[in-house]
Amino acid sequence: MQDVPVYNANPTVFAPSKPSKSSLLSAHSLWWDEELDVKAESEDEEIKPDEIFDLIRSITDPEHPLTLEQLAVVSSPQVAVSGNFVNVEFTPTVPHCGMSAIIGLSIRVRLLRSLPNRFKVDVRVKPGSHNSENSVNKQLNDKERVAAALENDSLIDVVEKCLSTAGRRGQTP
Amino acid sequence: MDSDVLMDHNTEFQLMQVAEFSNHEERVWHLAWNPTRPLLASCSSDKSVNLYHYDTTGKFEQATSISTGHSKTVRAVAWAPSGKTLATASFDSQVGIWEQEEPEEEGGAPGEWECTILEGHENECKCVAYSSSGTLLATCSRDKTVWVWEVQPDSEFECVGVLMEHTQDVKCVAWHPTEEILASASYDDTIRLYVDDPDEDWYAFQVLSGHESTVWSLAFSPCGKYLASASDDLTIRLWRRAAQFKWEPIGMLRGHDRTIFSVSWGLGNGDGENAGWLASTGSDGKINVWEMKAPENGTLDSKLIATLRDAHSVSDVNCVAWNPRPGLGDLLATAGDDCSVRVWRITGVA
Repeated sequence: MQDVPVYNANPTVFAPSKPSKSSLLSAHSLWWDEELDVKAESEDEEIKPDEIFDLIRSITDPEHPLTLEQLAVVSSPQVAVSGNFVNVEFTPTVPHCGMSAIIGLSIRVRLLRSLPNRFKVDVRVKPGSHNSENSVNKQLNDKERVAAALENDSLIDVVEKCLSTAGRRGQTP
Repeated sequence: MDSDVLMDHNTEFQLMQVAEFSNHEERVWHLAWNPTRPLLASCSSDKSVNLYHYDTTGKFEQATSISTGHSKTVRAVAWAPSGKTLATASFDSQVGIWEQEEPEEEGGAPGEWECTILEGHENECKCVAYSSSGTLLATCSRDKTVWVWEVQPDSEFECVGVLMEHTQDVKCVAWHPTEEILASASYDDTIRLYVDDPDEDWYAFQVLSGHESTVWSLAFSPCGKYLASASDDLTIRLWRRAAQFKWEPIGMLRGHDRTIFSVSWGLGNGDGENAGWLASTGSDGKINVWEMKAPENGTLDSKLIATLRDAHSVSDVNCVAWNPRPGLGDLLATAGDDCSVRVWRITGVA
């Protein structure tokens, strides 16, 4: 990865907010990662934006050893839930960020693995936050491209690295 | 399942489920009805192709499952017009051509499905389609190209054209029902139409613009005068052949509230002025059926005659396909993210 250009060498780091109650509970469980995820909850139970945020806040940025929450790439107010529809908006740290597709893909994969399949998830960059906003959004919401990306070994390696910390859900390791 | 519960009752027709198969282990992407034999093929991210057999009473059963050997998702399947050959398009960039070995003795059980691999695309192959005569095969890929292959005896294929018109992934290829006109649809929001110049090569004679996002699927009308296209912009556009090499927009259908992944244009029930039945489906999980009529005055009229919500429970529906065989035009199959294949019959509401 040493040939990859650095898109934002000195990002602003933000203090993480307190973990929400649900993740405090699950953090004490041995099964805090995938097993006790929202999947276990009953079919019709509503999911709150905070719970979605908990699932994605500790994803590691592909460029820095920091979480998406620490870089303010994701935040709780940027998650909207309406019935079975989940809308996640994220803010790239710089408008020319070449890692936006990887960040969006990581968010998408995390939610794909954690949420019951009744949820339809849309992932978009914050309007005005990226030079190629439309093209990033289009790619992230094309299920065929996402499916193909998940069968691409080198891409999935990068995503897995980002997701390796996702189970912390706002907790410090 | 009691299909009646899911029906909207404000339509003249309803879709009754006649079969459901959950033999795939992952998302089912695409379907193809065999044009000459009672077989339906489905393909999946689980890299297999399943074949289902049905009898004259409409009873369906799984006939076989082919482990294709593709190393990634099998995205699309297509039967040759003869019904003897099956083509598969895979994310592993290859196209498989499948033929069943002849029975060892006359009247004996047919043998294994044997495969010939076509290589050429640089990355994910997304669709494959045979021309009406069966002498040409078209394939398309994320590499932005459409390839035209000539089908020669003994499973030999020769590439006779590489069309590099699109600026992004090519999602779908479809042949005109009687002529050698090829259409392709793309992530670049356009549709391109191609023919063979007898003195030159295959070339694009028209770009159809109008869609505001990815065009996922194409279907020519059985009469060949019209083309339907389905898009991420939540519309189905209708195009009419105005001259030999000129197609023009003639209408737009709305009826989905998420990406439309698939359209299929069937023969319908043969009413006067009948231009067949158009079915569509997508990420909203809904199946819509429109009755298409082409009166003498040159317009194309459409009427929504059936709609079914949650056709695959909460899942996306990736493909819809009418049975093309004579007398079976009321059978419709769908494939979903719930790993299932379902078959429906459209019937008049009593």
